[in-house]
Amino acid sequence: MIGLYRPGTSVLHRMPTGLKLVCFIGASLAIATTTTSLWQVISALTFVMTGYACAGLSARVLASQVVAARWIILFMLAPQLLFLPAIDAVTNTARVALIVILAALFTLTTRIPDLLDATERACAPFRRFGIRPEAVALVLALTITSIPVIAGFAATIRDAQRARGIPPHRLSFAVPLLIMSLKHADDLADAVSARGIEP
Amino acid sequence: MNSERLISFRQVSVDFGERTALDNVSVLLDQKRIAVIGSNGSGKSTFARLLNGLASASRGEVRVHGIDPIRQARLLRRRVGFIFSNPDSQIVMPTVAEDIAFSLRGRGLSRTEVDERVSRMIQTHGLSHHENSAAHSLSGGQKQLLALSSVLVSEPQLIVADEPTALLDAANTRRISNHLLDEMPQQLVLVTHDLRLAERCDTALWFDQGRLRRCGEPRAVIAEYERSHP
Repeated sequence: MIGLYRPGTSVLHRMPTGLKLVCFIGASLAIATTTTSLWQVISALTFVMTGYACAGLSARVLASQVVAARWIILFMLAPQLLFLPAIDAVTNTARVALIVILAALFTLTTRIPDLLDATERACAPFRRFGIRPEAVALVLALTITSIPVIAGFAATIRDAQRARGIPPHRLSFAVPLLIMSLKHADDLADAVSARGIEP
Repeated sequence: MNSERLISFRQVSVDFGERTALDNVSVLLDQKRIAVIGSNGSGKSTFARLLNGLASASRGEVRVHGIDPIRQARLLRRRVGFIFSNPDSQIVMPTVAEDIAFSLRGRGLSRTEVDERVSRMIQTHGLSHHENSAAHSLSGGQKQLLALSSVLVSEPQLIVADEPTALLDAANTRRISNHLLDEMPQQLVLVTHDLRLAERCDTALWFDQGRLRRCGEPRAVIAEYERSHP
């Protein structure tokens, strides 16, 4: 769901990161608060598709973001269909899915170093309260980077358990995942320090 | 002795709880390519980590190019690059270009200069087709080339490589080792189990159970090491 940066020269690529972030937050809030009917969902979808087109991103890229968000869509839609009218269930789910896909458009058109700089600038006023903007920015960047790594750990654990014939169990899955994630956090801290960046 | 690239250890010990990882090591090194060999748990990696301030001495004094690795850690890490054995654990940013650029953060360089340096590294290390690829999706060899690029982009004076070829196949081992041993102008400390790589260095250190058993001409050190591990 967190799209990798795709280089380009579109207006979205060139827009200052801080301004772009404010615009995306504003657009997400607008979708969240105003999309209450099917027509409004269609309007919001048109808006998101226009955003992807403006960024020079193909329909395939947009489709891949929808595929990436499929579990969110499924987990939101299925229970709502049981308790709400179908139109409301679809509207509610579409609202969240559109915000997720819009968020992906932000990361697809923003380089992480630029996001780091923007976060540092945004957090600068909080320095007087003891908050270190560079640390906040680094945490944000490392979180984004670590998501595929932890997903990889989960796949490795599942494979290892299947290979040994261990039946799926939440605890036998969660404990090694936690240990591998903590070890990765240690290694990452060393890697960051070794590059001369003080966390 | 070449004082510009002098690494000095004076009676250095490192304790991890009750275990002594490094025991009273004293050595002066100014060679360009330094190999560090020894069996698992012998203290090789602890020795390497001391050079970049990733570990600190419990007793004794370490100086790397005249710098105290703990008190002047920030200054030292701008001069000393570190390559880990597992390329996955050293990727900090999502894409190849972003990961290399990350090493230049906080150095006061303009965006143009950062982009130029990153492009140069990407081209030099054959990563041109992967500039905007997900760093974690690269092959093992490409990840280690990325790690090398991320270190070299900041133009360090000393590279510490802790078993950089441990997880690589023969072709990638050859590629990475040729980069490290033949093409780089920087001083190199290479921790390795591959004795053929150690043989290509100017000097070799052999660690055994935390002690520095021998330091000198690589062939002689390796021959003695192999005799003690038949």
